[in-house]
Amino acid sequence: MPADAQAAALPGPSADSGGVIHNIGYRRYDAQRLGRFQIVRALTWHSFRSAFGIGRGAKAKIFPVLLFGLMCLPAAVNAVKMATSPAGGPIVTYDDYVPSLRTVAMLIFVAVAAPNLVSSDMRNHVLPLYFARPIRRIDYPAAKLAAFFLACLAMVEIPLVLLYIGNAAQVHGAHRVWLQTLQLGPGLLYGVAWAALLASIGLLLASTTGKRVFAICAVGIPLFFTWVLANVLMHIGNQAFGPVGVGQPSALASLAGLISPFTLLGGVLHWLRAAPTPGAPVRGLQATTIGHYGPVYGAWFVIVLAIAIGGLIARYRRVGVA
Amino acid sequence: MTVSITRPPTRQPWRPAPGAVIEAAALTMRYGFSVTALDQLTVAIKPGVTGLVGANGAGKSTLIKILLGLLEPTSGHAAVLGQDCATSGLEIRALTGYMPEHDCLPPDVSATEFVTHLGRMSGLPATAARERAADSLRHVGLYEERYRLIGTYSTGMKQRVKLAQALVGDPRLLLLDEPTNGLDPAGRAAMLDLIARIGTEFGISIMVASHLLGEIEQICDHLVAIDGGRLLRADTISSVTRASEVLLVEVDEGGDLLLAELTRRGLSPVACERGLLVQIARDQTYDVIRDAVADLGLPLSRMEQRRHRIEELFRADPALAGETIGAGSAS
Repeated sequence: MPADAQAAALPGPSADSGGVIHNIGYRRYDAQRLGRFQIVRALTWHSFRSAFGIGRGAKAKIFPVLLFGLMCLPAAVNAVKMATSPAGGPIVTYDDYVPSLRTVAMLIFVAVAAPNLVSSDMRNHVLPLYFARPIRRIDYPAAKLAAFFLACLAMVEIPLVLLYIGNAAQVHGAHRVWLQTLQLGPGLLYGVAWAALLASIGLLLASTTGKRVFAICAVGIPLFFTWVLANVLMHIGNQAFGPVGVGQPSALASLAGLISPFTLLGGVLHWLRAAPTPGAPVRGLQATTIGHYGPVYGAWFVIVLAIAIGGLIARYRRVGVA
Repeated sequence: MTVSITRPPTRQPWRPAPGAVIEAAALTMRYGFSVTALDQLTVAIKPGVTGLVGANGAGKSTLIKILLGLLEPTSGHAAVLGQDCATSGLEIRALTGYMPEHDCLPPDVSATEFVTHLGRMSGLPATAARERAADSLRHVGLYEERYRLIGTYSTGMKQRVKLAQALVGDPRLLLLDEPTNGLDPAGRAAMLDLIARIGTEFGISIMVASHLLGEIEQICDHLVAIDGGRLLRADTISSVTRASEVLLVEVDEGGDLLLAELTRRGLSPVACERGLLVQIARDQTYDVIRDAVADLGLPLSRMEQRRHRIEELFRADPALAGETIGAGSAS
């Protein structure tokens, strides 16, 4: 902690005082005071750091670092592949990345990091101290949401940028690099959707309880089981009812993806991306089947996001001040 | 430096009175239909150290939350540092330090980090927050310990951290809610010393909420007593504890004889457990008592003018609480 080191290095009566109160005189603070916006920015930065365990012990950093490494793994593998045999082109796409890995890594990250941001303040009753400062009630959840959004964004987007660097280093000619850049854009945009949805849902669930272990469960269990349920229903829909037409899965298979945030995000991607060619093989469990219901996925994404953000704000409107 | 009681202004819009650090006008707070935390409270508090006394549940914490702009009163007005609590919450909170009654510290950070962070939350730039955090922790008497995790602190040290975080933003007013909660007698005395020092040497106005009258008497210039959300009394400590117009006469034996004798001589003594209480009517009262005791040949052991005690404010017995009850209640 540089602040501590700096303060410790200062010579002063503290060094050999042995607990005696020295009258060092009270110094007034007459310089500039920051406004509400700058205070919220400071709180956002502080919370962003705490999402990765910075400013806390080494133990708090284990999971974020491991998960970040995991998220970067496909980019590294791709870079190695591109370096050794560039002929076949990249093996990892910018928008999908590796969906199952991204789902698992982000699920764990959200479950572990979200409680760091909100439940500690709640458990230790620190909230009255925040609310007694020159910020408004809504600023606290807003700063926390912004911080966690940025944290999730870093988890999702930095690997994409690494993937891009790996690809750009191996392709030759400005045109090809430009093609890679064009593909990176939508991938980054899609990452924003991931970060926004997961951050808001994760914080809302984590803010329901002050106990850290409970909070991890409150976030992890619903995210995990809705994901499993969505995939099971999608599978049943495909197997039991079969496609209703060529390239047209049953309604159950198409709508099951709405249940989980992860399959919802997959559905949004498939809707936004050019419609898959009819009869194309379904790639793994992660490819959300959406059929003709693409716009439903788009609308549901917006609704879920609004509910999660609104719920978080309502949560902190209700919470007691002491 | 006197506490005055103002009537709620009838005209709109409401304007706080100049010169008062804290002002409440017909302030009423109801939770639901049944619970009334504050009932038509009207009081003005001048700079200095003021004690807010009342039993648990008298409305002290509710008043503090309204003053910080965190609760909206059901009706009435409140102002802090000349600013309306209903509209200028941000400005008030920028210049007010608040020490809550309950535990509010995370165990897994050091006091330095925590107070620095809350300094930033008070609107200090990063460097200033660091310096002032170190200063405030030193002022409350935490030195090398301040780099340790708060979880390892004793209750007394935690209370000091709570005070330091209230002080870090260089407030003009401190609102301290039961600052000696959970402290042993030595820690209690140290905390009271500290508060008195902040009030006198640092020039910061303080309102200390407490249910312990002795503490208020020790460190405060003024006193605001509330009971059931109503104002009981707002005055200087010295006038609350001033000499009363009652003499306590104690004789080792023959109390009954003296009672009869004084009654015969035109006084109206009342027997109490320690002796006789005699209303001082005029200067000659002392002579009358002296003569009566001398004539009866009784051993006089004590004759003193009684002083009011703060506790009397809260006694139901009007004979003892006297004129102090209902001084400013506007209902």
